[in-house]
Amino acid sequence: MHEGVKKTRWDIIRPYVFIFPAMFFIFLFVVYPSIDLIIRSFQEWNLIAAPKWVGLENYKYNFGKREFVESIRNTAIYAVCMVGIGMTLSTLLAVWLKNNTWLNNLTRNVMFMPHVISLLSVAMVWTWIMNKDNGLLNTVLNIFGLPSLKWIDSRDTAMMSVIIVALWKALGYNTLLIHAAIQNIPSELYEAADLDNANRRSVFFKITLPMISPQLFTLLITNTIGSFKVFETIRIMTKGGPGSATQVLVYYIYKQAFQLNKIGLAAAAGVVLMAIVGVLTIVYFVVLSKKVHYQ
Amino acid sequence: MAEIRFEKVSKKFGTKTIIKDLDLTIEDGSFTVMIGPSGCGKTTLLRMIAGIGPQTSGKIYLDGKDISDIPPAKRNVAMVFQNYAIYPTMTVRENIEFGLKNNKVPKEERDRLVREVTESVGIDDLLERKPNTLSGGQRQRIALARAMIKKPKVFLMDEPLSNLDAKLRSGMRTELIELHKRLKTTFVYVTHDQIEAMSMASHIILMNDGEIIQSDSPRDIYNNPKNLFTAQFIGSPQMNVLKAAGNEISFCFRPEKVHMSIEASNLFYCRKGEIVTKEMLGSETLYQIRFEGQSVMVKSLDDNFQEGPIYISVDKQDILLFDIDDKIIPPHSTQHEQWLNIIGGVTYA
Ligand SMILES: Nc1ncnc2c1ncn2[C@@H]1O[C@H](COP(=O)(O)OP(=O)(O)O)[C@@H](O)[C@H]1O
Ligand SMILES: [Mg+2]
Repeated sequence: MHEGVKKTRWDIIRPYVFIFPAMFFIFLFVVYPSIDLIIRSFQEWNLIAAPKWVGLENYKYNFGKREFVESIRNTAIYAVCMVGIGMTLSTLLAVWLKNNTWLNNLTRNVMFMPHVISLLSVAMVWTWIMNKDNGLLNTVLNIFGLPSLKWIDSRDTAMMSVIIVALWKALGYNTLLIHAAIQNIPSELYEAADLDNANRRSVFFKITLPMISPQLFTLLITNTIGSFKVFETIRIMTKGGPGSATQVLVYYIYKQAFQLNKIGLAAAAGVVLMAIVGVLTIVYFVVLSKKVHYQ
Repeated sequence: MAEIRFEKVSKKFGTKTIIKDLDLTIEDGSFTVMIGPSGCGKTTLLRMIAGIGPQTSGKIYLDGKDISDIPPAKRNVAMVFQNYAIYPTMTVRENIEFGLKNNKVPKEERDRLVREVTESVGIDDLLERKPNTLSGGQRQRIALARAMIKKPKVFLMDEPLSNLDAKLRSGMRTELIELHKRLKTTFVYVTHDQIEAMSMASHIILMNDGEIIQSDSPRDIYNNPKNLFTAQFIGSPQMNVLKAAGNEISFCFRPEKVHMSIEASNLFYCRKGEIVTKEMLGSETLYQIRFEGQSVMVKSLDDNFQEGPIYISVDKQDILLFDIDDKIIPPHSTQHEQWLNIIGGVTYA
């Protein structure tokens, strides 16, 4: 802009024109559906008859139903295991990968593959592996003289089985990101620590962990949100069963919306999911962001 | 008490040999400066002493004891890294006391030492700050405090001042000299800056390509270079090197040893030339003078000479001669006399 030249109307409008396309699609695909979801959660609608306003009835119904409450509990268990075990394993694996042996290099190359394979195939393959009669896992257990497990066919082990599969799929991706973060730590820090007589524990907790905390924090949030939205694995492997042993929130929503045509109930459950994820994210930021080290 | 001795030490990276069969003694209590062009192996040498980049073969002794197999933390050495290697996630205090904590030093003792050390380098008011809020000079002091608090037998410093601005650097130089006087421990200090080397060292080790070119006091390194490399490396601006006797001899004198005059002088070597450029350095002035198809630099306190004809002259005792292998021809030797006579002083009446 030249000195003394008056701003034309175009100069004022221009920035808005540039961001309009992005804003338009965000509104269309994010804001509008969220508002619509909340409105639908107060209505009763079967996709055919006209929607009827029912106030908080959908919420009352859902929370009164054992299947729904269990789905929240199961989702929470799933998320805690995925985030807790998943991130711990990924971090340990990433630290181990720092060494440079052929085994490390092999692992580094193979590790990422589960992330590339479609979840559908992964779930299918693992369903065979976990087959209670002639699956690979039971065969291995038997070789070591251990009794067979019923895996996804028992209320006691179904959730664990699903978590194992999901962990197996997610581990490589998480590890790769953490490994990249670890590679970025300047080697002089470790040398200085060596001169400072730091043992491995101290090096890990005082140097490595704080240095990769930004990446861990990001992974924590994305993994938590991802875990609460778990669906495909459950849909393919257990369909929420046996009973409601692996019933999770999104599967509950799916069932209400597309099998029972109860859009209002599905919407109310969707709002609950949105609220849980939102609150957790805020809690993470409030509690943890001060502990994260940013350059 | 800490004397460091290298015995046939070699260092390879992969198949590349950086240092080969090096023998070296660093005297107890000395302020030894290792200097040399970039990539000549100074850092590599320091890291071998610290044990964080151990030698491929050979032995390193500290006070006569072989430390080759002793881990870095048990060697009684402290290191200041070139980019300080301060732990970015720890506060200044945590940075400084990390080593003590790992060595299970009790809290009161730690606090006392932290106070003592940080006061002596002037960062006692920064203890709870995070490093990313501090300036380069302050970080450098943290690195120094972190080394001092260990009360090591040997301080290893890798170009500790190279990231500071000129003013801060000269201040820190003085402080390090004082620190060495006070602690009386062995300092091994790496730099590529000859002003640092000359001003701080009690002993200078000049390196090139992984080899020791000359190991001497600053005075001898400057006045009695044993070879042309030393003669040219030390001194700013560089030693003037003229080829004589059909390139068989390098005929050298320092820019600051040249006299300039409007009239011819009766010093041994006197030539008529022409001032081509003039560069004010403040207290001194740098002249570039061309004569007989060659060009020399002259450093003079007199800034009154103007571009144009001039006589330059060098005293006999300020002339150094190097043979075809770049080795010094000892001054006062008959060989030296003979060569000087061949090259010949021209006397202008
Ligand atoms: N980790 C390493 N791997 C391979 N080569 C290295 C490594 N560290 C240093 N070198 C090589 O060793 C030589 C000496 O390096 P260095 O000791 O850092 O030089 P200086 O400190 O004198 O500048 C250089 O040629 C450098 O490329
Ligand atoms: Mg170096």
